Amino acid sequence: MAVATAGNPQANHASSQRAGPRTAAPQSGFAPWKNPSLAPIVRFEGITKQFDDFVAVNDVTLDIYEKEFFALLGPSGCGKSTLLRMLAGFERPTQGKTIVAGQDITDLPPYQRPVNMMFQSYALFPHMTVEGNIGFGLRQEGMLPKNKIAERVDEAMGMLELRQFAKRKPNQLSGGQQQRVALARAIAKKPRIVLLDEPLGALDKKPRQQAQFELMRIQETTGTTFIIVTHDQEEAMTVASRIAVMEKGVLVQVATPGDIYENPKTRYIAGFIGDVNIFAGTVAAIGDGCIEINAKDGYQFKTRSSEPVTIGQQVWLALRPEKIRIAHEQPASAVNAIPGKVEDIGYLGSISHYHVRTAPGERITALRANAAHTVERPISWEDSVWLDWPIDAGVVLTG
Amino acid sequence: MSAKSNSLGRWYVIAAPYLWLLIFFLIPFFIVFKLSLSDVATAIPPYTPTFNWSEGIGKFISQLDFENYTFIFGDPLYVNAYLSSLKIAAISTILTLLVAYPMAYGMARAPKSWQPTLMMLVILPFWTSFLIRIYAWIAILKPEGFLTMFLMKLGIISEPLQIMNTTTAVYIGIVYSYLPFMILPLYASLEKINPSLLEAAQDLGSRPWRAFWQITFPLSLPGVFAGCLLVFIPAVGEFVIPDLLGGSDTLMIGKTLWNEFFNNRDWPLASAVAVILLLVLTIPIVLFQRQQQIERESGR
Amino acid sequence: MNKNFSWFNLTSITFGFAFLYIPILLLVIFSFNESKLVTVWAGWSTKWYSALLENQALKDAAWVTIRVGLMSATVSTVLGTLAAITLVRMGRFPGRTLFSGMIFAPLVMPEVIIGLSLLLLFVAMGLDRGFWTITLAHITFTMCYAAVVVQARLQDFDKSVEEAAMDLGATPINTFFQVTLPIIAPSVISAWLLSFTLSLDDLVISSFATGPGATTLPMKIYSQVRLGVTPEINAISTILIGIVTIGLLLAAFVTKRQTERAERERRKAFGAAG
Repeated sequence: MAVATAGNPQANHASSQRAGPRTAAPQSGFAPWKNPSLAPIVRFEGITKQFDDFVAVNDVTLDIYEKEFFALLGPSGCGKSTLLRMLAGFERPTQGKTIVAGQDITDLPPYQRPVNMMFQSYALFPHMTVEGNIGFGLRQEGMLPKNKIAERVDEAMGMLELRQFAKRKPNQLSGGQQQRVALARAIAKKPRIVLLDEPLGALDKKPRQQAQFELMRIQETTGTTFIIVTHDQEEAMTVASRIAVMEKGVLVQVATPGDIYENPKTRYIAGFIGDVNIFAGTVAAIGDGCIEINAKDGYQFKTRSSEPVTIGQQVWLALRPEKIRIAHEQPASAVNAIPGKVEDIGYLGSISHYHVRTAPGERITALRANAAHTVERPISWEDSVWLDWPIDAGVVLTG
Repeated sequence: MSAKSNSLGRWYVIAAPYLWLLIFFLIPFFIVFKLSLSDVATAIPPYTPTFNWSEGIGKFISQLDFENYTFIFGDPLYVNAYLSSLKIAAISTILTLLVAYPMAYGMARAPKSWQPTLMMLVILPFWTSFLIRIYAWIAILKPEGFLTMFLMKLGIISEPLQIMNTTTAVYIGIVYSYLPFMILPLYASLEKINPSLLEAAQDLGSRPWRAFWQITFPLSLPGVFAGCLLVFIPAVGEFVIPDLLGGSDTLMIGKTLWNEFFNNRDWPLASAVAVILLLVLTIPIVLFQRQQQIERESGR
Repeated sequence: MNKNFSWFNLTSITFGFAFLYIPILLLVIFSFNESKLVTVWAGWSTKWYSALLENQALKDAAWVTIRVGLMSATVSTVLGTLAAITLVRMGRFPGRTLFSGMIFAPLVMPEVIIGLSLLLLFVAMGLDRGFWTITLAHITFTMCYAAVVVQARLQDFDKSVEEAAMDLGATPINTFFQVTLPIIAPSVISAWLLSFTLSLDDLVISSFATGPGATTLPMKIYSQVRLGVTPEINAISTILIGIVTIGLLLAAFVTKRQTERAERERRKAFGAAG
């Protein structure tokens, strides 16, 4: 079976990777999607899934490459889980093909697919021990001799620090431990692709962040392709090499976390990933690589843009809060500057959010690090302030 | 003060059902036991000794003996009746399980919107008279009954079926009457199984049939266990079904007890039969209690 | 997820329900049979029903049965509800294991044993056997069913609702009548209905507990069934089945209406908020 043969090359890869330093961000040189000679490991071809009269997934075409940590991101009901479940084989697409490693698996039942899934509810078998759960996939259809199974189970338990719980039942474990068992079970068969359906949804913030790094560590050491479904943009940004943002069953943008954050394609994505201030306006002038925008409320902004636009076209300027400078005095030479009054301050320790109301009534969020050496006097409620940002701070959106 | 009145109210709540059950459920067993040590007599009530304050307790006790027990164990008729009851109950329990499991499974996997209706359809016969349901089978099983007519019309048989008044008819009657008792706990335990467990099993390479034996069946065992006890225990002491559907060769202890009591008017012997039956059933009843206890605690 | 039956499930459900219902259907159909022979169809007739109306002994038995049922169902529901509260809400108290044993044992205890032991109790107490002893016996075994039904509902609902009521100053008694009872009311009603039908249905325990003069309907039917299958019994069975079916359908309909209304209101509230 495909699953059995998948093990060896990855094992080699794992040993070569283990020596390297753990990195939070994906390796900068890793970009197989830019290499036209590489074949993708997963290819969705025009996948549509319809439930009665509801279209859950609408004509999705997507390539995912070997060793990627790929995130499907979107709000609940956007079709991301359905897409994942079609890859696992639990749902059959209404239209389109699913190709894994060059083989069309659209009609294969789940138990014959070279993918393993980590379930949102973990779906641990309550009547089996930790060992029993992790070894379950290896015991099917006499894949391996008994001693080999024990070896592989032990390897997976070691990787996730579960050896001391080997004999326990799932209900004797904490949420975090259960989550690790679920992951160990999904990787024990050394599948080519591991699917993770909201794998950390049940965890609190702190253990969740730890678990994210653990996922990345496992993904790197095993060299397996991970596809994660999540509604948490921070999680996607943290773990993924590339993110596909979905909305109402449609793929909106597929890009690296950095690209998605810096160059969101639409207002929806800009708003979904991180905080953003959006100014609506029309194009007033087009210069050399930059444009001027007449904002709705009378301001005029100058910003760099490579978007092909025409004079008078409706556009939106998206500005990340951390790119806006906030100060008491009017800046001497700023390209874009507007006055306002501080309405609210959100103190988050290392940084603070400032919610500023402009004269026309627009609410803008700016962000400032609370560095100890700040010489300026602190900005307080009801202070009159100036907001300014450089020419290349914003992104022009046309949709 | 309020705490005191609270705890007083609490004791009233507990006391009413508690006392009722003590008087009408527990104490009668001791009377049965006492009577099983007495002797039959032509009197009203038909046994001796009867307790008499003037003669004192010593004389009363001295008249009690284990004569009825030695009689029961000395007579193969009674011993066989116990053994045959256990055998018939065990076989019918297994048959009931075999009929009920696919049904309960189908119900648990049916569309969610259908499930309340299906539940209702299972419970409905349980609410209609037990006696009537057994009676309905007489018309089906008797030699000139519906089953014979039906099969003859299809040309499957040429002679009337001899099912009525045999042990086979008793099996059919028990399976039919106790089916809801088996289906309900089975359904409850099957319905509780998270469907993603089966998806996980398939995802890890288990074919549907294997996944059933590896996941579904083991997880439904509490329901199997509860259902089997709910059928087995009352079936051992069943009276109406062997009386109406069974034949003269169908030995069941419930029928024996009834005959001793109503036909022979031997109350002490009937009591001894009941005491032994109770002792035989103690182990399954205790198992059932523990099962209920576990279910209650885990249900919280 | 699965909106359709798989063929295996559909087959097993169909065969199962055929097995459960065909005997009852045959019995009902042949109660309208013209012929005295129960298994040979000879045309429609309601004559067996009119024969019933003239059978005074049967009518007397039915009246006894109904009175016993009403009386025992009511008392057993009260006692069963108290027993359920004791099991679920009273925590530990001396003799709790014995108590829960006495609630669950009668559910599986062979009826001949319960019947015999109650009879001997009544003899020992010197009670005249008849209507009242049957009623006492029925209360005893049906209250355990009532307790189990109410207990299931009590376990389901959030105890903090009761705690909130007491926190707001309601006494335990007021809490029970104003908060607990309204919430468990549907299960109390089912408990009453179940007790009532179990009482209507009982043959073995009544046979032991009764004395001269009090004959219940099942006892009457039983003595006739022993003599053979007759269309009159089919007719009376059909009436009993009809009453139970209509009662249950009504109950189901009312609950369905209630849950639908609750669902509508919940949606409305949700829609207004979101």
